[in-house]
Amino acid sequence: MSTKKSPLNRLRRSLGLETQNEWPSVARERLLAYGLLAVYVLVIWFPIYYIFITSLKPSSEVLSLPITFLPQDPTAQNYVDIFTNRPFDNYTINSMIVATTTTLICITLGTVTGYSFSRFDFMGNKSLLLSIVGARMIPPIALIVPFFQIMSNPPLVGGFTGSLYDTRLALILTYTFFNLPFAVWIMKNYFDGIPESLDEQARIDGCSRWEAFVKIILPMAKPGIAATAILAFIFSWNEFVFALVLTSSEQAQTLPIAVSLFVADDFVDWAHLAAGGMIAALPGILFGLFFQQYIVSGLTQGAVKE
Amino acid sequence: MSIEKSPLRRKLDKLFVPLTVGPTLLWIAAIIVYPTAKLLFSSFQFRNPVTNEMEFVGLRNFRRLIFAREGGQAALGVFNPSFVSITTNTAIYVGFSVSISFLLGLGIALLLDKDLKGRGWFRTAVIVPWILPYVMSGLMWRWMFQSDFGAINGALQRLGIISGNIPFLSDGALAMVALIIADVWVFTPFIIIILLAGLQNVPEQLYDAAEVDGASRWSRFWNVTYPFLKPSILVALTIRIIFDIRALDLVWVMTQGGPGKSTEVWASWLYRTAQVFNEPGSGAALGVVLLAVTFAIVASLYKIFGESPYQA
Repeated sequence: MSTKKSPLNRLRRSLGLETQNEWPSVARERLLAYGLLAVYVLVIWFPIYYIFITSLKPSSEVLSLPITFLPQDPTAQNYVDIFTNRPFDNYTINSMIVATTTTLICITLGTVTGYSFSRFDFMGNKSLLLSIVGARMIPPIALIVPFFQIMSNPPLVGGFTGSLYDTRLALILTYTFFNLPFAVWIMKNYFDGIPESLDEQARIDGCSRWEAFVKIILPMAKPGIAATAILAFIFSWNEFVFALVLTSSEQAQTLPIAVSLFVADDFVDWAHLAAGGMIAALPGILFGLFFQQYIVSGLTQGAVKE
Repeated sequence: MSIEKSPLRRKLDKLFVPLTVGPTLLWIAAIIVYPTAKLLFSSFQFRNPVTNEMEFVGLRNFRRLIFAREGGQAALGVFNPSFVSITTNTAIYVGFSVSISFLLGLGIALLLDKDLKGRGWFRTAVIVPWILPYVMSGLMWRWMFQSDFGAINGALQRLGIISGNIPFLSDGALAMVALIIADVWVFTPFIIIILLAGLQNVPEQLYDAAEVDGASRWSRFWNVTYPFLKPSILVALTIRIIFDIRALDLVWVMTQGGPGKSTEVWASWLYRTAQVFNEPGSGAALGVVLLAVTFAIVASLYKIFGESPYQA
């Protein structure tokens, strides 16, 4: 990349011409950027708005013409219905338990393992890390058949003979498969960014490895842990395909399944589906609005090593 | 401060790595290696419809999957028409979704990289579609594309662009277009985030220098931005392509592969074979093919861009 300045440019600079010419074009460019971004945001938020207003319409208004873009007679009845006529309380609890437990497992194991991969040169650590991260490449859907077989007919461990099919445990076990390799990778990269001299200082001060890790390094890694936790939670909360295959009743079905259940062959109960969809979408919207920077940092640390 | 340590502490310190790495490795082996081995094993088996027993059939599942049958036997060299059409559908779906969302995402990322007030607010607004459950997004788009009461027909009519309703999801070609639109809507935020992170690596002075040199906008992008952005582009494209090939959620809730087989892709076919038709052997064989294709795509992308997948 050439950085030399031509005599003409130097002349223009010294005359101050450049700044004079630059400002109007910069302002115009900014205005254009704002305009384009605003149009983009409006367009991509329109579907969310439309499903939201659908959730507030009585069923009669949902299926009447011409369609309305503002609810004529807004009501919360759809939300009441799905919790009284359908077990949305169960679905929500299942989603909460599955997503929270998966998140806890992934951040606990992901943090300690990520730390060791970041700090220690042990036998085969590079290829081990590569295979852990490579596990993310395996298309989960390819494993749908074996997971179904294993969960309906688990291998005998410690005398356990029951079936895990249609339990929350089956989902928790499965979801760690998506999220644990990711958690290890993000945390490893995060610890790489914390200077190793801090560990050494703590060790000189008499800390054991465990104390140095827990007392000194872990508190510094909080933003990384938050990023990992948020992503693991969202991924588990939103998962659909494995929940569809591994569960069959309200004792384990999660919100994404509950929403899909409003589709019955040819008839779709759109008003109630919209209400259920808004409930399922709530964590995503809230996390997006309040923890956007954690999601971005987690995603970029997991994907691009800086 | 004492430097001496009790024997227990010393022992625990020695065991630091095994204790922190061991459980994760065991866990991952149990939940990934074991199912993958089982997948390979299942792909060589076939459920006998009479006895309901699994029988070892060698490569028959793969032959039946890829090649056409002639007189009850798979004819090598003649491809199975459904395999060809579903592969074509997958290529169209992935090809268009990934390239459109990539170009759109690149454009938005470049806009968001500017020093604008309220940039954080825009970033928040832009990211949300990606964080919603894909099922809910798919159903939302199905509702938007609904022919009588859908918002898209409604809006187009109100604007006077069309007079009759367009049956988006019951026409094969339009259904594919609708799927691609939904997919672009969901995954463009991902491209934006990854590329924005990459744009932060471009040194500001280089832009200034290029500007002083009077470099055109295009040449500034190509000579300054692109070289720094390349690793991020690679990551964004790889993850996007892999995800699209295997993603079932959107396709399943929007079209279930229909009408006819016009939007059937590998993922929906796999699900249908394994679950709906209860043929675990064929489903597993397709899973193995999917696995191989995924690794082949990743390897070739890294070959093209000339980078190692992980700088571990």
